[in-house]
Amino acid sequence: MTDDRPVWAEGLIKTFGGTTAVHGVSLSVPRGMIYGVLGPNGAGKTTTLRMVLGIIDPDAGQRALLGHANPREVSHRVGYLPEERGLYPAMQAREAIAFMGALRGLDWATGRKRAGEMMEASGLGHAVDRKIRQMSKGMAQIVQLLGSIVHRPELIVLDEPFSGLDPVNQEHLESLVRSERDRGATILFSTHVMSHAERLCERIAVIAGGQRRFEGTVDDARGLLPMQAHYVPCDRAAEAGTMLPSGASFDGRAWRFTVPDGGAETLLMALISAGHGIAGLTMQRPGLHEAFVRIVSDAKQADVAASA
Amino acid sequence: MSAFVRQAMVVARRDFTAVVATPTFLLFLLAPLFMILMSLLGVTGAAQIADTSQDKTRIGIIAAQADGPLLVAADRRLRNVLPDDLQPPKLDIIPQHGGQSAAVAQALLALPDPNYVAVLYGPLERPIILKEGGRRSAYLATLAEQVLRDRKGGVAPGAMLSIAQTADQKVQTASASSEHATGFAAVFGIFFLTLLLAGQSVGMLAEEKSNKVIEILAAAAPLEAVFLGKLIGMFGVALLFVGFWAGLAGTGIALSASFLTLPPIAAAVGLPAFLLLCALYFTMAFMLLGAIFLGVGAQASTMREIQMMSLPITIFQVAMFGLSSAAAGAPEGRLARFAEIFPFSSPFAMAARAANEPEIWPHILALGWQGLWVALTIWITAGLFRRGVLKSGPGLLSALRRKR
Repeated sequence: MTDDRPVWAEGLIKTFGGTTAVHGVSLSVPRGMIYGVLGPNGAGKTTTLRMVLGIIDPDAGQRALLGHANPREVSHRVGYLPEERGLYPAMQAREAIAFMGALRGLDWATGRKRAGEMMEASGLGHAVDRKIRQMSKGMAQIVQLLGSIVHRPELIVLDEPFSGLDPVNQEHLESLVRSERDRGATILFSTHVMSHAERLCERIAVIAGGQRRFEGTVDDARGLLPMQAHYVPCDRAAEAGTMLPSGASFDGRAWRFTVPDGGAETLLMALISAGHGIAGLTMQRPGLHEAFVRIVSDAKQADVAASA
Repeated sequence: MSAFVRQAMVVARRDFTAVVATPTFLLFLLAPLFMILMSLLGVTGAAQIADTSQDKTRIGIIAAQADGPLLVAADRRLRNVLPDDLQPPKLDIIPQHGGQSAAVAQALLALPDPNYVAVLYGPLERPIILKEGGRRSAYLATLAEQVLRDRKGGVAPGAMLSIAQTADQKVQTASASSEHATGFAAVFGIFFLTLLLAGQSVGMLAEEKSNKVIEILAAAAPLEAVFLGKLIGMFGVALLFVGFWAGLAGTGIALSASFLTLPPIAAAVGLPAFLLLCALYFTMAFMLLGAIFLGVGAQASTMREIQMMSLPITIFQVAMFGLSSAAAGAPEGRLARFAEIFPFSSPFAMAARAANEPEIWPHILALGWQGLWVALTIWITAGLFRRGVLKSGPGLLSALRRKR
């Protein structure tokens, strides 16, 4: 529990009516980082974030937010965008942003001024005095996000921030997240869409079945899976398959196969010696999406085995 | 200002603005005006019907010509004594001709217009009064008696033997009955205002729940601050409402002071202290009952559920009014003590006590006691809400154990 870890949680447990939603999740988010909490639907991401923020209390485990054991004490230094978006429909956008800032300790006048500037910067300058009910869902979502950062918090927690946004607004939101990180804020966000995490996150935690199944960088996660090779032989391409590892697939021109544990050098030398040659070769790690699917399916198998 | 109070005030400001800055608030503000107008229309209509009916209703006396002026003079004197609501129907003197008085009386009673309800005939010493069933005949009998007494005393028709002079004097000491009346008026006034205004809080969290704003509020501020803020916001609306109508009433009274005599306000603690205490007890009643309504309403998920919950809440309010009214009528009794101590009737009963008892210290004690219950009610209802809506927090008993 140190100040360089704005979010720290150890062994969080939460049960609702006999169902354990979160079972021993630990998190440690370094300062100034964009950190992703990934997991399938119903994995326990939202419950974990709510416990970390002090909206609900854990049944067991410890937590600290910005170095404080009671998250409530530092709520004015935190910004939060909940999964279920909510704004007062009759409020003007500027007022809604100022209201959310005021709840976190910002005075109304400053909140209004910043709301205008932020909406202008987000391309919504024309809608500052528009009521929320007159806005599109995407616009309202951006307004809510601006409301959660208008007080310039040190820590920003975003629960599924991209859901419901069109690609243009998703792109805008990504740049907003990066600019907040560049300002010095720590960003913690949850998602089940891997492309956003892959582009934004410096570290991730994968939660599945109420437990943390992985923690590390995106490359660490991708490193869990072996390299994939895309090999184009020079001659007798179809015969080359007999020398490749089992599971290799051929599309009539090129082979795809998983690189063996010892590396590809020995195999390639053998292929050259056999006269197949190398017309083309690329080797790359699978994406975060594949790594995520593997982590989650391994977790399911482990849970089934444990319950059996 | 502590973060708790500041957050409560932010919520209060939002709620106050959201309510006041809408066209529907104007309707709400003017609702009593509609009530008054409807009442006036009803009263005027009823009065017109009564007047029309009264105009056609008559009582009659078939009398000798010599008795006519004596009867008219006696009628005038007796009517002067009777209050407006006990005035008998207009009197007609019907000249007596021959011995057909009984038949004439029956014919008069049978007339549709004018509508005679009672007719006296025969000698005044032994008169016969023919009347519709259920009607009283005492007035005609008294008239006959009065005429005979005037004749016996030789009093000319209309002559006054005694001419009295009257002089008003202000009485400094209030009577117990006028203090009781003031106490009851205070109970009724506070009850009426809380019934009208605090009941609004039952649906106050519906907007947050339906618009999913509650999680933003819950993440930024303790729920207790949110609840307190909502109560303060609605109290602000209530003050605006009361201020508006008090201003109107004050202006009306000032304008009509020359021709309108208001009953005196008799309060044992003195008028300024009484008014201040009434304002404080209204605040406490609003906060206490508002906190209950807010907490109960927070458990509802739909408008239908909120409407269903309104009835028991209103019954609860009326029960507190009944308890406190009984206490105001018998301020020395055990019931009064109970009503003063029971937290949810305490503001009403203590306002009545301010009218009946001169001591101030029980009011300081009561305000502290009621404030404690406001805090306790908010804490309990916020806890219920946290468990019901956010599905978090310990059970009430374990929370209490933890506090210990």
